[in-house]
Amino acid sequence: MLVTVAQAVVNGLLIGGIYALVSIGVTLIFGVVKIVNFAQGEFVMIGMYISYFLATYLGIDPLASLIVAMPLLFVVGVLLQHFLIRRVLGLGDMPQIFLTFALSLLLINVTLLLFTANYRTVQTSYTETSIHLGEVYVPVAKLIAFIVAMVLSGALWVFLHATDLGKAMRAAAQNPDVAMLMGINPDRVFCVAVGVSLALAGAAGCLLMPFYPAYPLVGQVFVLMAFVAVVFGTLGNVTGALIASLMMGVAESLGVQFVGADSGLIVVFMMLLLTLAFRPSGLFGGWTR
Amino acid sequence: MRLRRGTLWLGGLIVIVLALPLIVTSHFAIDIFIRVLLFAFIGVAWNLMGGYAKQLSLGHAAYFGLGAYTSTILLIRFDVSPWIGMLAGGIVATLASLPIGALCFRLRGPYFAISTIATAQVLMLLFLKFRDFAWGAEGTTMPNLGNAPLMMQFDAKSAYYYIALGMLALGLVITYAIERSWMGYYLVAVGEDEDAAEAIGVNAMRIKRQIYMISAFLTGMAGTFYVQYIYFIDPQTAFSFNISVEAALVSIVGGIGTLWGPVVGTVLLEATSALLQSWFGSSHGGVQLTVYSLILITVILWRPSGLLGVFTDAYERVVHAGRAHAREPTLDG
Repeated sequence: MLVTVAQAVVNGLLIGGIYALVSIGVTLIFGVVKIVNFAQGEFVMIGMYISYFLATYLGIDPLASLIVAMPLLFVVGVLLQHFLIRRVLGLGDMPQIFLTFALSLLLINVTLLLFTANYRTVQTSYTETSIHLGEVYVPVAKLIAFIVAMVLSGALWVFLHATDLGKAMRAAAQNPDVAMLMGINPDRVFCVAVGVSLALAGAAGCLLMPFYPAYPLVGQVFVLMAFVAVVFGTLGNVTGALIASLMMGVAESLGVQFVGADSGLIVVFMMLLLTLAFRPSGLFGGWTR
Repeated sequence: MRLRRGTLWLGGLIVIVLALPLIVTSHFAIDIFIRVLLFAFIGVAWNLMGGYAKQLSLGHAAYFGLGAYTSTILLIRFDVSPWIGMLAGGIVATLASLPIGALCFRLRGPYFAISTIATAQVLMLLFLKFRDFAWGAEGTTMPNLGNAPLMMQFDAKSAYYYIALGMLALGLVITYAIERSWMGYYLVAVGEDEDAAEAIGVNAMRIKRQIYMISAFLTGMAGTFYVQYIYFIDPQTAFSFNISVEAALVSIVGGIGTLWGPVVGTVLLEATSALLQSWFGSSHGGVQLTVYSLILITVILWRPSGLLGVFTDAYERVVHAGRAHAREPTLDG
């Protein structure tokens, strides 16, 4: 019994690391640009396909494809902000929600047309191996993904707190008008925020590839988790999103283990609805913002 | 003069839609017409919430599914006619909107939309689990009773057409009445700026709750009709995310917060969809939604108030140009 619980917690924490990369991206865009990117999951999907094709046709390890996918998606993010999102800022909820929502539909269906709905997987030398910690199995691919995800989250924290650009971004998030008076160019900051956020989504895609299949709708799995984590961990709060993601990974995994294989999502959505009922500002609403 | 022209157009439109199934008898075409009427009706229901009160729900499939399941369970388990089931479905949907609204209205804007997605998903997952009671994932087919008008089953497709038409007319009349009542003004005030509306004494929570109930009731009716029409129900069909998306999409493309917006949007999108299907066949699953999303992006960037405005503008321009042209000779003379 104890071993089963420990195993479920370990599995949950490891996948929670991936959820964290996606939700940090969502909350970063929400905090800085003040829009919700409904297409965030589709950039995870694009990261996975980049990783898949590099692995299948050039034999590049999915982890090494991070070096290609992250800069590429950063550029995509800058272009997305500059050419699309910028045009709907300040236009009210409808255009802001449905622009990225339409983008999500578009990316899913173009992928479906180009690559069909087939599941695509990459076998690596470490896909099947795992470490034993007592009686608990720790799959190597998931462990690597978790560690890299935590390193990237840490790097983002350092970027936001120790670099001028990062500080400018936090300033623009808190008060764009005052930030502009201080000589911060909000357009540039917004572009970097969306770029960084998509780069994280791309990284999540590459990290998933050794143990998770790529298919057009795969992003939906992760973006729903991310949305819940972002509400749960208080909107716009990066640390909150990280902690909430790990908690949700564990909750989902315990749900699958003890309620039934298809119950993971029910547990997670119930968490969202309970959060809304009892603490609508999220877990960290009291002492941040 | 203006009013008389409006009445004339409306009268003409009514005659055309009433006569349509008599003129066009192809099953394929009537099927498309029924889809147009049904989705326009769902769009009209969504528009009350999303268009006037600007509460952008992406979870109307929850009410569609509840309406569908209520009438089906009543029909198969208790032999209750779907006509009563439709009413019951609407009532169940309305009741469900109360707790769902109480939770989701705590969030605004995009996060309201996300929380409504979650509620529809939870319902779908629950109905997948209700095996004994609601047939689980396999779903069930409707019992075929032949031509039984009292049980909402007809041999003639045109009967379904007239039911859908009646529902759409009901939705439009309700919208028209609300638009012109105090409620309409309150809704628009809440949609424009919730805090400002509260400051001048509008109970925003109550008005949102009320419009959500009406919207849910109509969407529940649509659910009953749909499963009666296709003779089949399962959780994936009844709570399909596509229903939620299409409800919002037709309203936005046509023009949110307008009486005719959802109708215009549905006609445009369904016509596009029918054309695409005849060009590409139904095998290319991604084509329709690819085109829909491109249309949506274009509308949002180019004309966020919807395409209805484009047509009325063009119409006004033609009418006024015509009048100016007619006046010219008298000026010369």
